[in-house]
Amino acid sequence: MKIPKSSALAACVLAVICLAAAADALVVKIQTTQLRTQPQFFAPVVANLKAGDSLTQVGESGAWLQVKTATGLNGWVHRSAVEVPRYALMASAGGTKTQATASEAALAGKGFSKQVEDNYRAGHAEANFPAVDRMLLVKIYMSQVKEFLDQGKLGGQGGGR
Amino acid sequence: MNARARSAFGFLLAVILAFGGCSIIDKGAEIMGKAGDAIDKGDKVVKAYGKLRSAFGDFTEEEEYYIGRSVAALILGRYPALDNAALNQYVAKVGNAVALFSDRPEIYAGWHFQVLNTDEVNALAAPGGMIFITKGLLKRCPDEESLALILAHEVGHVAAKHGLQSIRKANLTGAFTSIGIEAIKTYGPAQLSQITAAFEGVLSDVVGTLIERGYDRKFEYEADESAVLTGCRTGYDPAGITRFLATMVGDKTTASGKGWFKTHPSPEQRIDRVDSEIIRLRPVPSIAAIRTQRFKAAVASVR
Repeated sequence: MKIPKSSALAACVLAVICLAAAADALVVKIQTTQLRTQPQFFAPVVANLKAGDSLTQVGESGAWLQVKTATGLNGWVHRSAVEVPRYALMASAGGTKTQATASEAALAGKGFSKQVEDNYRAGHAEANFPAVDRMLLVKIYMSQVKEFLDQGKLGGQGGGR
Repeated sequence: MNARARSAFGFLLAVILAFGGCSIIDKGAEIMGKAGDAIDKGDKVVKAYGKLRSAFGDFTEEEEYYIGRSVAALILGRYPALDNAALNQYVAKVGNAVALFSDRPEIYAGWHFQVLNTDEVNALAAPGGMIFITKGLLKRCPDEESLALILAHEVGHVAAKHGLQSIRKANLTGAFTSIGIEAIKTYGPAQLSQITAAFEGVLSDVVGTLIERGYDRKFEYEADESAVLTGCRTGYDPAGITRFLATMVGDKTTASGKGWFKTHPSPEQRIDRVDSEIIRLRPVPSIAAIRTQRFKAAVASVR
């Protein structure tokens, strides 16, 4: 199919603008995290965030990103909790947001997922999943980590590079 | 550019100027979406996305977690978990403390640590942040700094995705190909069987590396370097790792030789490199008696 030069140019212009606009878009990539008032783990929590929540980056400080939520809340998240959403990657690969938004929904739960684990588990009695579930039930809260650090005269604010 | 083309381009620019910012994405998509069925194209994009994925770093955080869960299940199938809530809680606190100062403080389902009930000397890290340390290794640690640095070494392996990097190219390709079969909600029996086979290939590579072959030497040195830095950031004396490694020098007993010596570079080589790294980072934190005391109290039940 012959693509008119003008259409190709228009698509390029649109793609560049999409990418520029999408550059600030982020999505939470881990099960849960917190939006905090300052760029440090022990700062007060503004809101709880969950996987898939959309954010817009408005600033940064080291490994911390200042963001705004879809409901207009402002705060900080650690860089390791977020990623560039798929539609932005799609735009760079020549797709559009509508196409990629449709794919976000379609891709949810795809890949190596609980369904695949369950199927694997049925054929592998040597894998001890109940012990993994017990291990994952042990949760150390941020307040416990802070207390442990203080008691051991350790410290700082955490957060890597 | 003919009159029609000029008009199309002018219209697009007008739209861009009129809406600006993020809303332009929606408007642009709306315009382009009219050219065809967006959902149909979405399916194609999903498949294209599957094709774009080719490297270990292309697994999503959730996929890494599911790989890690199964790797952990295979480890726990081989070595029993130590049933000692207080000790596991203490180890988890030390582990979470160093993970917080690592380059990957946040991970899909949080960091988790478990003591294994074996006298074999070893520590293992499954992708997704599930970390194991044996009772045999704990017994050799002289202080909390040693334990912290060993856990920081394992956190370093996970943060840098060394486990995922051990997946062979053919299995990576197989995984991404089977994942990208079709953009439907759940897999049918044939697809599920194909993707589970790919999953098994991935697990075999990761578990084989962790337990049998060991990481590439350069990954071990990288994890040591990362442990020293993370330990310092947390406030631990980084020489804790050399105090532990020194207990391994010249030790060829069956228990320690089984896992550790097979999968790690010699302790002498590691001590040399760690010492150089500590000198490079000076001044570094010092050991504190209060931490050694709580460590001794916590591990007393397995000494």
